[in-house]
Amino acid sequence: MKDLIWNNDDSQETNITETIEMELLLEGLYRVSGFDFRQYMRSSIQRRVQNRMQIEQIQTITGVLEKVLHDPMFMNKLLNDFSINVTEMFRNPEFFKVFREKVIPELKELPEIRIWHAGCATGEEVYSMAILMEEEGLIHKAKLYATDMNETVLNKARSGILPLSKMRTYTKNYMSSGGTRAFSEYYTTDGHFAYLKPSLLKQISFAQHNLVTDQSFNEFHVILCRNVLIYFTTALQNQVYELFYESLSTKGFLGLGDKESIKFAECADQYEEFAELVKIYRKK
Amino acid sequence: MMNNFRFGIRQKIITGYIVIIVCLIAAILAVTKQLDNMQKERNFIIQHDFAVRDLTSNIEKDLLKMESGQRGYIVTGDENYLQPYNEAREQWGKDFNALSKLLSDYPDQLKEITAINENIKEWIEVAGEPSIKLKQQNDTAGIRDFFQKDPGKTEIEQTLQQFDSFRNNEKELVQQRADNLNNQNQYLEIGLFSLLAFVILASIALAWIISGSIIKTIKAVVETIRAMTTGGNLSSRIHVKSNDEIRDLGFATNELLDSFEERDWLQRSVTEVVSKNQGISSLENLAEIFLSATAQITESSYGAFYIKEGKEKNVRFVKKGAFADTAGDVGRDSFALGQGLIGQCALEKRVQVINKIEGDYTLISSGLGETKPRSILIAPIVHEEEIIAVIELASLAEYTSQHLAFIEKVLETFGLTINRVIDRIEIARLLSESQAMTEELQAQSEELQTQSEELQMQSEELQMINEQLESRSQDAEEKSKALEIAKKELEEKAKQLETGSKYKSEFLANMSHELRTPLNSILILSEMLAENSSKSLSEEELEFARVIHSSGQDLLNLINDILDFSKVEAGKLEIMLSEVNLSEFPSSLERNFTHIADQKGLNFTINIAPDVPTILQTDEKRFQQIIKNLLSNAFKFTEKGSVSVRLNKVPADVTYAGIDYWLEVSIKDTGIGIPKEKHELIFQAFQQGDGATIRKYGGTGLGLSISSEFAKLLGGRLQLQSEEGKGSTFKLLIPSISDESVSVQTFAGASAEVATALEQSAKVIEDAPATAKIAPAVPETEQPIMVDQEKVFYGKTVLITDDDNRNIFALKTALEQKGMNVLNANNGMECLDVLETNKNIDLILMDIMMPEMDGYETMQRIRGLNEFTDLPIIALTAKAMKNDREKCLEAGASDYISKPLKLEQLFSVMHVWMTK
Repeated sequence: MKDLIWNNDDSQETNITETIEMELLLEGLYRVSGFDFRQYMRSSIQRRVQNRMQIEQIQTITGVLEKVLHDPMFMNKLLNDFSINVTEMFRNPEFFKVFREKVIPELKELPEIRIWHAGCATGEEVYSMAILMEEEGLIHKAKLYATDMNETVLNKARSGILPLSKMRTYTKNYMSSGGTRAFSEYYTTDGHFAYLKPSLLKQISFAQHNLVTDQSFNEFHVILCRNVLIYFTTALQNQVYELFYESLSTKGFLGLGDKESIKFAECADQYEEFAELVKIYRKK
Repeated sequence: MMNNFRFGIRQKIITGYIVIIVCLIAAILAVTKQLDNMQKERNFIIQHDFAVRDLTSNIEKDLLKMESGQRGYIVTGDENYLQPYNEAREQWGKDFNALSKLLSDYPDQLKEITAINENIKEWIEVAGEPSIKLKQQNDTAGIRDFFQKDPGKTEIEQTLQQFDSFRNNEKELVQQRADNLNNQNQYLEIGLFSLLAFVILASIALAWIISGSIIKTIKAVVETIRAMTTGGNLSSRIHVKSNDEIRDLGFATNELLDSFEERDWLQRSVTEVVSKNQGISSLENLAEIFLSATAQITESSYGAFYIKEGKEKNVRFVKKGAFADTAGDVGRDSFALGQGLIGQCALEKRVQVINKIEGDYTLISSGLGETKPRSILIAPIVHEEEIIAVIELASLAEYTSQHLAFIEKVLETFGLTINRVIDRIEIARLLSESQAMTEELQAQSEELQTQSEELQMQSEELQMINEQLESRSQDAEEKSKALEIAKKELEEKAKQLETGSKYKSEFLANMSHELRTPLNSILILSEMLAENSSKSLSEEELEFARVIHSSGQDLLNLINDILDFSKVEAGKLEIMLSEVNLSEFPSSLERNFTHIADQKGLNFTINIAPDVPTILQTDEKRFQQIIKNLLSNAFKFTEKGSVSVRLNKVPADVTYAGIDYWLEVSIKDTGIGIPKEKHELIFQAFQQGDGATIRKYGGTGLGLSISSEFAKLLGGRLQLQSEEGKGSTFKLLIPSISDESVSVQTFAGASAEVATALEQSAKVIEDAPATAKIAPAVPETEQPIMVDQEKVFYGKTVLITDDDNRNIFALKTALEQKGMNVLNANNGMECLDVLETNKNIDLILMDIMMPEMDGYETMQRIRGLNEFTDLPIIALTAKAMKNDREKCLEAGASDYISKPLKLEQLFSVMHVWMTK
């Protein structure tokens, strides 16, 4: 892993210094903003910081720290850099297909279905789930909770506005995910944006929640946390898995990103593989 | 049982046979003897009988011979007749003797015979001899006489009778003997059968006993062996009481059992240990489990397990696990090859058992004390000819050969197990590493995506800027020319303007003067009229006069405002710094506004904070003007409640050269308030809340903009906090200027900073109870901007393929309204034809159910054409048909809409697929 970050051996010294600087930066950021990135994958954070350093022409990480401490605008920029908000509707359509075919039948009988999208970013995934629930006739009893640590992306998610340029991809994804109607039934457009049907948005509760520092807030039948834990160290991953375990009902489902796996986590034996191919696990 | 007399199976069987053979021989001998006896008897019967009969008949014959000889002689006197007589007389005596000899054992018969003998003798004496003598003498008379008497006749008759009786007796006797023989024969038969039966029974019994004694033991052996094979109890042993081969077999089987049990123990122990070793994924765990199992089996009290780590020269054996009966850690943590006993063992690669323990060897401690181990066992674990681990065990007893065998056996495969666990750990490590790598890659790819999105945005911005720049540079050239012209024009105009503005100011000044003069007369006269001193005016006329007066007053205010405003605009307004005595401030305000407050029934208060200095250095006139403006506004727009003025000294963290302090004047009312979106607007000239407000409250709308401008002129600023319906607070922030030489303009920036500082401190106070968390703010890059929808559609070409002309017409109308060019085709073939001739089609709307060539086929054909692989095709499907969707997608539709069409949905989809 280190090879990815450190290319040459004679940077050993720099290496140590930078490690210290990075720790100080994250500590400082935590103390100033309350956002705790200390247990995030260093490699990822490192790249984001370096990216910012390049843009702002800052020479050292300490320089970044200085700006973080004295320039609130810059701190926000950095915080935004750290929050990766890559998402799309019906991302990995196979996941939603399997969810529709295998998980939905397990949920149908429940009087109320609570689904938590942990790390929802700009909300595309939870919109997709709302559409899926609508098509399965479960939307009336489904409660979708979408949380993210980033209030700004949450606001975006709340708006239900999608860039028009992405809609083609989303349409394809929707089709591959086994959608039963026309995707265009769920949005209206103008020249630049697509607007999600307000009736779908109504079913979703958006809230600020930090997986690193915050606690469980309900018991859920399904938790989706896709491509969020990849930014966390194993220790933090385990901590979050614990949080999910506490928050899941018995026989509840946990959905992860397609490159993620629970296999090596401490809690692996508390779950059974429900659909390993698309990373859906079920609490025993 | 242990007597040395050996009675083997062979002996047993031979004995049995001998017994039977002996019985048989005895039987045969007995029978033969009996048969012999019977033969003799029969012979005797036959000979005796014959002899008796012969002799008897001989005697009788002789008797008769003698008689006939006697008579013949007598009659004839022939001597020849005397010869048979003599022969018979001689013969019969011999026969009689023989007969009497034969009958010596039979006295009855002998008696009869003797009687016969007597008679014959008598006959001879009485009749025979005498008659013969008579004849010889020729005594015919005597012969006559003799025959007359016939003396021998009775004897002959008697003898013949006697013979008959004798013969009858004899016959009876023979019969008796034959019967006797028959009886004997019967006995023999019975005896023979009994013997046969006995032999058979004896044989069976013997066979039973012998076979029984063999089978019983064999069965016992078989049972035991079967128990062995079916995994039953191996501890039972075969007990054979007999001393034969079966007993040997039993012993042999017991020996086999012993070794089997031993091997079984070994096997079980090994299996137990090996099975415990299954599925373990850490060396420590493996070591612990292996040690505890091994120690239990070998009855060891102490054990340690070392695994090789490092390579070549750095090889060390590191303790991975320890076992002790009593709690506590035992054994040293690591050792090198050849170091100590255990190191030596590792070097030599062989199992060592040491029974003589010397030195300060680890003591095995128990609850009550400590003792030295009696025996220790050190064993290397080899995998592929290489030592990979060492175990050491210590016991209070000596290790048996069986323990050793077990250790050796279990270690044979244990190397493999360790290796497997090491491999497994390695694999798990690699797997989790690869998982981590995968996640890392995913993270990187997402980051990259984010970055590329950012870059894309940046590059879009850049492109926009470039485009702008390009058009600008084009413009620039044109404009530079135009500029030159304009410059000249400007120069001219500047001159004109200068004069113009002078004219304007002059005009305004003049006009205001000119206006004021007549206004003054109007005001004064109307006021006078209103006073009605002559009391000649009616109420109505009085009212008119008041209206004229107040209108004139308004007009005057307006003119003053315009004048001020134009001066400000022209930058002509100068400020005259002077000392304002703030202690007089309340009374002056009260003077001016109390009566209005009373009129409207409003509560009017003025507060000055204790830390506010008495002197304020500013332009008093303008300051007063601002305050009055604000207050009159406040009173104007407040129907009930209160108007209050408050003066505060701004706690300044920052000091500016030339400024003593900052004063904040807050004017707060409970009036109609100002909607948020109008906050900016009202500071612009000629603006009020809204049209209705103007109608209701009147006024020029210049007041606030003038006040704001004045505030700026004084180096301060005017701010508004207001909520519609709840009243407004205007805050005037103004510096006390100590140094007149400093340009007031420089304070403008300062006032902004002070204002911000003020605001923030206010916010901090406000927010204090809430969490101090600040969410990362993402600049809203993708703000919805309502653009002209038609722009996307304008000039685009859409091909409608539908067999129903009404549908085409309806769609065409709708699309053309959006500025699109619409082509149409009635079926698939036509559609393809249209495509052939029109290459600039942007989108196709495709009906599915069509004659000749349906939508699916048409789409497939279109997709088959290279140039149209990306052309958006929207399929129009009938909702009723379930498989439409899949079929459309397979055929190559980009998207689909269900009929009946909703125009909004159609346009949404078209937006998606037509936006570049």
